[in-house]
Amino acid sequence: MEEYKFLFKIVLVGNAGVGKTCLVRRFTQGLFPPGQGATIGVDFMIKTVEVEGDKIKLQIWDTAGQERFRSITQSYYRSAHALILVYDISCQPTFDCLPDWLREIHEYANTKVLKILVGNKTDRDDREIPTQIGEEFAKQHDMYFLETSAKEAENVERLFYEIAAELIDQARSKDNSSSMNKNLSDSVGLSPQGSKPPQVSCCSGLSNQSSSQTGNT
Amino acid sequence: MFSYRCMRLIIPRPSVSRPPCSCCFQPCLIPLGCCGCCSALRPRYKRLVDNIFPVNSEDGLVKSNMEKLTFYSLSSPDKLDRIGEYLYQKASKDINRKRYKFVEIAMEAMDNLLQACHAQTTLNLFVESFLRMVQKLLEDSNPNLQILATNSFVKFANINEDTPSYHRRYDFFISKFSSMCHGNNDNIELRDSIRLAGIKGVQGVIRKTVSDDLVENIWEKQHMEKIVPSLLFNMQFGVNVMFVKKNMLASGDLTPVEDATVVTPPVLAEEVLRELVGRASFGHIRSVLKPLLTHLDRHELWVPNTFAIHTFRIVMISIQPQYSYTVVETLMQHLDNNFKSSPKTRTSLAVVLSKIIAIAAGESVGPSALDIINNLLTHLRTSVSTTTEITPEESQYQEALINALGEFANHHPDYQKIEIMLFIMNTVPDLSKKSKGDQMLQNILLKSLLKVGTQYSTTSFEKAFPASFLQPLLKMARAPHDPTRIIVMQIFQSLLDRHQNEKVLSTVSIKPYAALSQETPSRSDIIFTHKYGANIMQALIDSMALSEKLDSLTSSYNTAALLIVEMACGETVQEFLLFILGIQQVATTSDDLSNIHKCCLHIIAIALLTLTARVTGINNLLEYAQKIIEDRKQEATYLLPPLLDSKKSNKSYNLNLPHLAIDKMALAECLQNAGMDFNRLQTGVPYALNQIDNPGHRHSWVESVSNHMTHRNSSADLTAYNADADSISSSPGVSKKALAPEYTVDAMKRYLAEPPESVKREQQEKQKQIVRAFRESDFEDLMKRTEPKHDVIQNRLNDLFNSLSIDNKTPQNAANQNEKPIYETNFPELFYY
Ligand SMILES: Nc1nc2c(ncn2[C@@H]2O[C@H](COP(=O)(O)OP(=O)(O)OP(=O)(O)O)[C@@H](O)[C@H]2O)c(=O)[nH]1
Ligand SMILES: [Mg+2]
Repeated sequence: MEEYKFLFKIVLVGNAGVGKTCLVRRFTQGLFPPGQGATIGVDFMIKTVEVEGDKIKLQIWDTAGQERFRSITQSYYRSAHALILVYDISCQPTFDCLPDWLREIHEYANTKVLKILVGNKTDRDDREIPTQIGEEFAKQHDMYFLETSAKEAENVERLFYEIAAELIDQARSKDNSSSMNKNLSDSVGLSPQGSKPPQVSCCSGLSNQSSSQTGNT
Repeated sequence: MFSYRCMRLIIPRPSVSRPPCSCCFQPCLIPLGCCGCCSALRPRYKRLVDNIFPVNSEDGLVKSNMEKLTFYSLSSPDKLDRIGEYLYQKASKDINRKRYKFVEIAMEAMDNLLQACHAQTTLNLFVESFLRMVQKLLEDSNPNLQILATNSFVKFANINEDTPSYHRRYDFFISKFSSMCHGNNDNIELRDSIRLAGIKGVQGVIRKTVSDDLVENIWEKQHMEKIVPSLLFNMQFGVNVMFVKKNMLASGDLTPVEDATVVTPPVLAEEVLRELVGRASFGHIRSVLKPLLTHLDRHELWVPNTFAIHTFRIVMISIQPQYSYTVVETLMQHLDNNFKSSPKTRTSLAVVLSKIIAIAAGESVGPSALDIINNLLTHLRTSVSTTTEITPEESQYQEALINALGEFANHHPDYQKIEIMLFIMNTVPDLSKKSKGDQMLQNILLKSLLKVGTQYSTTSFEKAFPASFLQPLLKMARAPHDPTRIIVMQIFQSLLDRHQNEKVLSTVSIKPYAALSQETPSRSDIIFTHKYGANIMQALIDSMALSEKLDSLTSSYNTAALLIVEMACGETVQEFLLFILGIQQVATTSDDLSNIHKCCLHIIAIALLTLTARVTGINNLLEYAQKIIEDRKQEATYLLPPLLDSKKSNKSYNLNLPHLAIDKMALAECLQNAGMDFNRLQTGVPYALNQIDNPGHRHSWVESVSNHMTHRNSSADLTAYNADADSISSSPGVSKKALAPEYTVDAMKRYLAEPPESVKREQQEKQKQIVRAFRESDFEDLMKRTEPKHDVIQNRLNDLFNSLSIDNKTPQNAANQNEKPIYETNFPELFYY
């Protein structure tokens, strides 16, 4: 069966080289690509997952971290339901840039977008950012938090499944509480009436008290 | 409620109006393809669709069956949507099973149906399936499927649909195509195919949406911020290729035909950008330009600026001409925003501006042209006022701005160049401002003025030097600062020099100037000389006395010499002789001049006398000059060219040699012997220093000339004025009311009833009034009276000066100043048509 129940758009952002593309490829293709080159502009991947028996389609936009592509990548923030902000736990500067990223997100993304902070490359033994520090930062800024390793496939599946689950919850509570707001449910290309999959709006009131729970591994 | 939605999902095309299932007469709510009871009796359309697929996918679409399906669709258009849905379902399964050949066949079938049925009113529903199919293919990671889908999409984009499609959205397509534009496959050929597909897709979306207001507004920020950088990103890689190709084309290694067949991503991207810009209406231009500028910033494409120039040229060529001004304006604002950037970046920006400004010049007239000039001048001011020490980079930036100004002026008709010069002249800080900054500003602005001046080709001095322009220029000719004065002299030279003699006359000499080209002054030149010649010569005398530096003196000489070549003739020669005598007199009577300086003035006087004699062809005069030269050769060679350099020589020369001087009476005699009028020379006083505040002194000659004109050549003069009498505003001394017919009904009636003779008489009377006015008024007065001619422009100028003088040296202010009045922003159409 081809049809899906929800469609979510997820955008990955963060400095060049933190492992965004590796995370996506690990999740969508189940591999860790050797010699992954820098992303140019924006890459696109799709993956359908099943949560509680429902098919969920995830549209994943993997943006380039390089400064020069910043303007085109920003234009993808707007329609995102979830934004994954990635840093490299073995590279302090990628963590130091987080406030800049948050500023951009604040400027270009939907205000209620689900934000997830991801510290990648936990497999490395030259860690510079303790888990605690990352978690603190996430808490301060209303973000979910998770540490991953694209290389060792650690927490990668979990990352995307948690996002899917959270977005489903949002969609359901939204859907139950009020009729869907068509303007905010920014859709896939087409929305023919009648065959339109119920759209999720990412604007339901989101409380992030549970963020540390999500993050503790 | 929610579960209901789920149902609708599972059943892809449910609807209340759905007809009952043909076999069980139950409303068919069961997903397609699973209707067990129907398997034996599949609906006809399904059988037809199934039959187009071959047993072996390699065999491709079964053509004959495709025809049957097409025929069926045309005869039963109500089934079209179900056919589309069924094809989509089949293709989805095939994609999941990676049976790509079958996917291709399904897509091809959809393309065919779309082409065949595009006139059907039910097409809309089919299009939805079609687009879902395209999206499905685009989502797959297989690049070939993506390319296949794009090609289908492009075909669809070129179809004109008759019915509007309210709820169709294209954001996925824009996002995905833009992403494809950045394709980064390791296989270069495949990479380029993906990029090409992306660009074509973008073009398709533009075509599909731009003319249809009901669908996506393609001009929205979030779309343009994807589309524009994607196109530029591809074009970026083309610039080098382009130059190679151009060279190859030029050298004949590559024939144009060959060239045209290869569509590379850069070539296509450029084409799409042209199309996009060409379709932009006034309100949309900025949506294109903003991401364009951001892209150039982000990718650091200003220094060097080859690509930026290339891109902006494309924009200027493609844009609807009436909006080209907006591009210039936007680029200028970008320059504003970059006021903190390195001078290199600003220079590059200004150079880009100078390259495109010419294209906009043709379209911007009147106030908007002045706005551009004003903006450029403001940038110059900012540059001068924010930098204490002008670095070479900063002065390059200023140079680039001045060039932009020149380019802009160059593409305006000459009468507008005059307005522009006038405008610039009025922004020059006057001589009372003596700070270093003001002085720099004076020079910079005068340089800009010079730039425009060199673009102007003078035919009539009357037009090149309107009084309101000449007056401040003459003031500046007396600037104490040498470089300033030299620029003013250059301005004079460029406006005076109608015969390209400026280079020839750049050295002071008593020998004949071999390459001199000459023409007898026209009547209007003579009138101009009578009107303003004295004022110019007066300023020249002052400027010559201001500095003994060689470049300064040479430059004043050059101006004087050009003046003589252009204006000296039998009728004006006496005035020039008084001028030459004046120079000599300054040398003999001014105590505060250095010895060397005095020598130089004598040298200039004798050189100008020789030149005047040659130009006017008065042999007696030439003989007299040559006699003096001979005597000086014997006794005082230091009174002959070349000019003495005060830096090289500090000798004190004997200047008490009255017998070697030019003698006024002797000159008068020469004229007399040549049978020419010498009255003015005999009775007139040679020019003297600092006469600017005392026009009374000089105006004596105006009277004498007038008298002289009356008795000698009045008829000729009258005809000259007659020609002018028609131009009401330029005629002084006569009130507008008297000249302009009163356009009241009564007046018209009277006018019609009156016999033509009386009209003639009236005109003659008017002309007489004008002539009288010229004869009886002195220069200052005449100037005052002629000034209203520039009323309109003057008002505009005043407005702008007022805004300028509120010390708005920060670019922010400059930007505010450029804000459009509200009606312009709200009703651009009103304003432009
Ligand atoms: N040890 C380790 N290396 C990783 C991991 N994830 C990515 N890398 C490496 O980090 C480098 C950059 O990975 P990418 O996925 O290309 O990084 P990116 O964030 O997509 O970079 P841009 O596309 O330039 O923004 C590559 O050399 C990867 O092999 C990880 O989990 N562990
Ligand atoms: Mg990447």
